[in-house]
Amino acid sequence: MRKTLMSMLLAGAFGVSAVAQAGPVTDKMITDDAKSTGDVLTWGMGNNGQRYSPLTKINTGNVKNLTPVWAFSFGGEKQRGQESQPVVHDGVMFVTGSYSRLFAIDAKSGKELWKYEHRLPDGIMPCCDVINRGAALYDNLVIFGTLDAQLVALDQKTGKVVWKEKLDDFQAGYSYTAAPMIVKGMVVTGVSGGEFGIVGRVDARDAKTGKLVWTRPVIEGHMGYKDGKENGVTGTTNATWPGDLWKTGGGATWLGGTYDSRTNLIYMGTGNPAPWNSHLRPGDNLYSCSTVAIDADTGKIVWHYQTTPNDGWDFDGVNEFVTYTTKDGRILGGKADRNGFFFVIDAKDGKLQNAFPFVKKITWATGFDLATGKPKFVAANRPGDPTKGADGKKGEVVFSAPSFLGGKNQMPMAFSPDTGLFYVPANEWGMEIWNEPITYKKGAAYLGAGFTIKTLDAKDIGGDYIGALRAVDPATGKIVWENRNNAPLWGGVMTTKGGLVFYGTPEGYLKALDAKSGKELWKFQTGSGVVAPPITWEQDGEQYVAVVSGWGGAVPLWGGDVAKKVNYLNQGGMVWVFKLHKG
Amino acid sequence: MVAANFPGALVIRLSEILCRAAFLSLVATARVAGAAEGKDPYDSGQWSGMEEEFLRGQKVAFDERVKVTGPRFAEDAMNVPISLDASALGDVRRVMVLVDRNPIRKVLEFFPLRTRPTLAFRFKLQQSSPVRVAALGADGVWRVGSTWVEATGGGCTAPGATRASGTWHQTLGQSQARFFGQGDATRLRLRVMHPMDTGLVAGIPAFYLEELALRDEAGTEYLKLQTFEPVSENPVFSFDLPAKPVGKLVLSGRDNNGNRVDAGVSP
Repeated sequence: MRKTLMSMLLAGAFGVSAVAQAGPVTDKMITDDAKSTGDVLTWGMGNNGQRYSPLTKINTGNVKNLTPVWAFSFGGEKQRGQESQPVVHDGVMFVTGSYSRLFAIDAKSGKELWKYEHRLPDGIMPCCDVINRGAALYDNLVIFGTLDAQLVALDQKTGKVVWKEKLDDFQAGYSYTAAPMIVKGMVVTGVSGGEFGIVGRVDARDAKTGKLVWTRPVIEGHMGYKDGKENGVTGTTNATWPGDLWKTGGGATWLGGTYDSRTNLIYMGTGNPAPWNSHLRPGDNLYSCSTVAIDADTGKIVWHYQTTPNDGWDFDGVNEFVTYTTKDGRILGGKADRNGFFFVIDAKDGKLQNAFPFVKKITWATGFDLATGKPKFVAANRPGDPTKGADGKKGEVVFSAPSFLGGKNQMPMAFSPDTGLFYVPANEWGMEIWNEPITYKKGAAYLGAGFTIKTLDAKDIGGDYIGALRAVDPATGKIVWENRNNAPLWGGVMTTKGGLVFYGTPEGYLKALDAKSGKELWKFQTGSGVVAPPITWEQDGEQYVAVVSGWGGAVPLWGGDVAKKVNYLNQGGMVWVFKLHKG
Repeated sequence: MVAANFPGALVIRLSEILCRAAFLSLVATARVAGAAEGKDPYDSGQWSGMEEEFLRGQKVAFDERVKVTGPRFAEDAMNVPISLDASALGDVRRVMVLVDRNPIRKVLEFFPLRTRPTLAFRFKLQQSSPVRVAALGADGVWRVGSTWVEATGGGCTAPGATRASGTWHQTLGQSQARFFGQGDATRLRLRVMHPMDTGLVAGIPAFYLEELALRDEAGTEYLKLQTFEPVSENPVFSFDLPAKPVGKLVLSGRDNNGNRVDAGVSP
């Protein structure tokens, strides 16, 4: 009794209480999300995307006692890929499922409180499975996007729709799969549909009403708007794009973004330029394959850093830009790119600090010039120009690594301020890729390329594996440790002050590793592949861990040679919740 | 069509089981529920449970002055035409339509703010059942009129026509209106395009209009409707306005996904 009272007093003495805050979600609660342990209000467990929890109740010493508390099935006949990160507020978990479904569940008991199933038209065009990555919380609302490119805000208590806005025309190829982000009372979203010649952009809406505040296209030549008025063209028209290809230039902002309140910048990754055939669009093709930093108040691009100029390999630059503070107080950001390089960038001005490989085989560039920020291309590794091919219909085939599925794809990494390491879910694979002629047609795939995913030779990467959870030191560029995985990793990572790194595998395991050594301390078979990031929170004095299980996503659709490592995996659709077993 | 019929048939069986389970559990509470005055003309076993669910704690009386007209046999179980008239009660504020043996029993609520308490509409019928119209008069008593419609069934658990053709999203929320003269009143017929999915067809979530309101340009409301899953696909409603409106009317509403209806209705 005394101990309980004591710990309550202690908890109250610190600035951020462990006790879950009830009532409406405020901007302050979102700013403090990374520190507050009683809830998970944002995708990334904090808008800066570190996926780090200060909780220590579950730690390297006792994680072996982690056992399931409850499991919840999304039900129905609609399984497929489940890439969702749950959010937890006031004892309720909000989790999205495949096919644009949203569930509210009592976080302690696993009892369903309500569900919302969005009515999808038959003609939706998601490129890479019918997935959703999660919801955002603000005020009394839970907000998520749908495969037919709509944004829906529901009452957290009742599940009734409060407002709904159309992001764009699904018949032109737009869809929405990312988790929205809340910044200063605005709900910030990107768009999906990069394979259909859409134009990537970032929208900020009043989170309470859905009313558009500003919109910023991320492809040069397109006009931005704020409060219904013109707000300047993005970039300089035709500076880095020829002719009118910028009009269907791609750059889908399909993974959402991060935000750091200290810089007041929204960091949004942008996808590949369209079409894939790079010979049609000589130039850097800004701002495709970049991180763009947008001022949250003005809706204008403050800086950009392009990781793959004039991309010819589908190396989307969408990967999350995770900000952190160095020992000398600098605010930097880390980004593990699809192109196989890890970038360390000044979060205030976008200056490149370091760029190094986090996968073992990279064929398209030998490295980056830190002074200019430009890659050192391997010219021969660019897929050939089809107009120079023997029949003018197929360009020279090249073997390229990483594959277009990337050194890292949608699965978010984590950063621990304790170890100073990034924990990166990496994959080693390559592809045969060639270019073909292509013209834009609304709603049709706009690639101009063919491809086959290939596994890499074991001697090139030191073994027979694809996935590897790697601890990366951003200061030195060294891989401190790795834990290999037979199938490609496709779930995200979480790390804790308890000295642990959690992540899931397609083989169905949720694993806990020692954050310092990479030693595997615990695993649990969830019954289907895990392609979603875990979370942790505290409720009534106990620490909980949750992850969504359900195999799917882009790998089974586009996997080529990789199929033999994954084709036995079963689909699913469950949330699993764990805590320490007592006594 | 065969492929489409199979899951529908499966769900019919399930919903029958559910109906029966609900019925059995309600028998026990039948004596507790506030029994309506007068006699249920159809002596339906479901009624006491419905009274408990929808009219709990209210004064309720069966009353033939609430007229309900429907076909004796539902030729198309997905479009059963019903017309109701509670004008014999005088001032009516609220009207509720309930169907005893439907898996979803509440069809709609109607608030005739400046219209007569008359309404014609179509709904989906799962099996032969009484159709109830409860009208709340100025005296605070819900007066219930009934009719019986025979059906071979399946109206709630088969996919609608626009679902089969996949075209529903192209016309979603579009509306049409037409005025008809009839006696001293003016009859307005409205149609709103919507699939009105019940959620009982395998793989198709519930998707239905929730609210419709008709007001004039000054914002004065003529009527409000709360609609539920059993209302037919592409619903048609007919109302009797007190007089031909001078200016334009505005029809607004939304469905359970937050899609909006917003249309002008010109006389």
